[in-house]
Amino acid sequence: MARLDPGRDTDVRTLRIAAAGAAAALALSACSSDATGEEPTTGDGGTDTAEITLWLNGTDTPDELRDYLVETFEAEHPGSTLTIEEQDWSGLVPRLQTALTSPDQTPDVVEVGNTQSPTFTYAGAFADITDMYDELGGDDLLPGFVEAGSADGALYAAPYYSGARAVFYNKDMFQAAGVEVPTTLEEFTEVATTLQANPPAGVENFSGFWLPGQDWYNGAAWIYAHGGELATKDGDAWQGALSSPESLAGLEQVQTLFQSATNAPVDADSNEPWVPFNNGEAAMFSAPTWARWSIDLPQCNAGVDPDDTSDEAKELLAQQQACNEEHTGIFPLPGVDGGVAPVFAGGSNIAVAAMSQHPELARDLLRIIFGEEYQTMLASKGLIPGNTEYASAMGDDVYSQAAIAAALDAKLTPPAELWADVEGQRILEDFFQEIAGGADPKDAAARADQLITDTLS
Amino acid sequence: MTAPAPAVRVGGRPPGAAAPPRRRRRHLGVYLLLVPALVPIAVGLGYPLVRQLVLSFQEYGLRQQFGQPARWVGLANYAELLGDPYVWAVIGRSVAFCLVNAAVTMVLGVALAVLMARVGAAARMALQVSMLLAWGTPVLASLTVWQWLFDSQYGVVNWLLADVLGATDMRFHSWIVEPLSFYFVATVIVVWMSVPFVVFSVYAGLLQVPTETMEAAQLDGASARQRFWGITVPMIRPVLSVVLLLQIIWDLKVFTQIYVLQRAGAPTRDTNLLGTLIYSYAREFSMAGALATVVLVVTLALTGFYVRRMLKEDEL
Repeated sequence: MARLDPGRDTDVRTLRIAAAGAAAALALSACSSDATGEEPTTGDGGTDTAEITLWLNGTDTPDELRDYLVETFEAEHPGSTLTIEEQDWSGLVPRLQTALTSPDQTPDVVEVGNTQSPTFTYAGAFADITDMYDELGGDDLLPGFVEAGSADGALYAAPYYSGARAVFYNKDMFQAAGVEVPTTLEEFTEVATTLQANPPAGVENFSGFWLPGQDWYNGAAWIYAHGGELATKDGDAWQGALSSPESLAGLEQVQTLFQSATNAPVDADSNEPWVPFNNGEAAMFSAPTWARWSIDLPQCNAGVDPDDTSDEAKELLAQQQACNEEHTGIFPLPGVDGGVAPVFAGGSNIAVAAMSQHPELARDLLRIIFGEEYQTMLASKGLIPGNTEYASAMGDDVYSQAAIAAALDAKLTPPAELWADVEGQRILEDFFQEIAGGADPKDAAARADQLITDTLS
Repeated sequence: MTAPAPAVRVGGRPPGAAAPPRRRRRHLGVYLLLVPALVPIAVGLGYPLVRQLVLSFQEYGLRQQFGQPARWVGLANYAELLGDPYVWAVIGRSVAFCLVNAAVTMVLGVALAVLMARVGAAARMALQVSMLLAWGTPVLASLTVWQWLFDSQYGVVNWLLADVLGATDMRFHSWIVEPLSFYFVATVIVVWMSVPFVVFSVYAGLLQVPTETMEAAQLDGASARQRFWGITVPMIRPVLSVVLLLQIIWDLKVFTQIYVLQRAGAPTRDTNLLGTLIYSYAREFSMAGALATVVLVVTLALTGFYVRRMLKEDEL
């Protein structure tokens, strides 16, 4: 309640009434569910026991990690319980919009997509955790994600994990076309074009590099690599920046790829790019590095029934994975002058709900999440942990190396309050689709900039 | 406390003077009987409508939902919406889409209903079952199937056109990337989903047309066409008007089909209809409320004439 203006008494009053009602309801539910004989206690301060709820999205956080959180939290807070509820990524924003506003329904700690963070931080949905910054990892926290989770100089949502994009390639096709892993963006275009011009026998509609028309998640890397931005802040106002000379240089290169290095449909997005790769219809695709688990080349497929859990089946699956990874290479997208291009980072932030009735317990849960043990567990599961100090636990195989290399330079969408509206209106999907369809980048960029500026203001 | 009072007074009056208060009491009873119906309507329909209207005159976004006070802005939301040529373009598109879809649905629906009334029992059963299946399939499930059918790379439609019918340039044709062909696909899907309702309603209406009248007309030498337009259509007119009215309302606020097709890869801005445009204001509740009110006005403008005529026919 401290974050509200003291002058706005009507709202404070209604909130207080709502909060009192919620506290009463919680007290009642605590009493009624008290079959185990524990003393129900309520009230503020750090010593209360309660049931707190954590929302995690999708299956990105493995069960092993969830169990660790529940066990550790409950061991450190005897009498309190932690419930983890899994939310679906799709439709998450509307669900958060309603749940976070209700003191008696709000989860206490929530995971939120990195590009969705600014929408909620500016709205006042999360509690201010600026004082925990150093405790959670300080300057070792993924910088782009800290920016996405901050508003007006205060930290509201800390980086949970990140997954950077890297380029997967079919080694056999590279060999057949006589090309090597590119070291600059210019070379990347050449390699992709050469691959496209030499399709494997019998494959029609072959793509050197799988780049669907609406795939701005990948396309944005070309803008970033040339020093461009999607939007920039001028004073207090955000403006579309797609028609800056730097952005246009990247967009022209993207258009060349669309025209001569891909046959991916203009009406597809970044979903499941491994499908054409597995079908032998694409030599390269770019995706978060956890896509390695989705690669399934026909020559390696051992035909294991997915429901078969016998040791034999596991053995076969391990062989299949090894075979897939033997035929598939990975490299971080190269920069303009070599090195690594800043790609678009996927991942999420984690925050304490402003309406949480147990902020102290919620903050304790954050402390567990940002502890060395949990961060190391995240890394060992192939996710880049919020605290980069522990990223080395990801291992030293090529996938992890590519992931770490790409993640260190990865960039996020502009941290503008209304950025989610740009995504809601699908302005960038439409824009990249126009570029893919052969529109003049300059004209299309000017139109898209206008839409972005209007939306962000 | 007030209700028993008149009863006491009535008891004390001479019998002749009792009539007016008793009538008033009976009226009161009538209104009381209305309460169970009025409360759900007020809660379920009235409250959202009032809230939508109130929102449309405020500045109300996420911040306000998290407790900040909402500012009254008068007609500013409406002015911004109606001053935007894009919104007018979307309104125009939606009205055109709605009229075309409602017309195609009605023509196909009535034709199939007449067919259903004419064919034998086995064929009728087959028709009814397939109609029910089309109608009963969950919207998202059938939309996924439609989406796969029209998929540019692996879709059956393109395969049929290119590999079976020989139109090889259609092999990787994208159906939804151009607005006109997008609306064609959307129309196919919307009509496919709406026709069963029209068929069943009109078929039920056709069963009510007395066979004696038809036989008499036949004996008098009226052709099938004359019987259909001169007897059947006027007799089932009430059914036709209700069904057409519902089609217009449904097709104007079509959302799911358009939304799913857009997500399948269509250019969003060029294919927005009113439903999806409102949805894109998901974080600006005041704008969404204002646009929803505009849609209400457009719906009333399109259907007001019909509603008035239907009410008049009811009175006769």
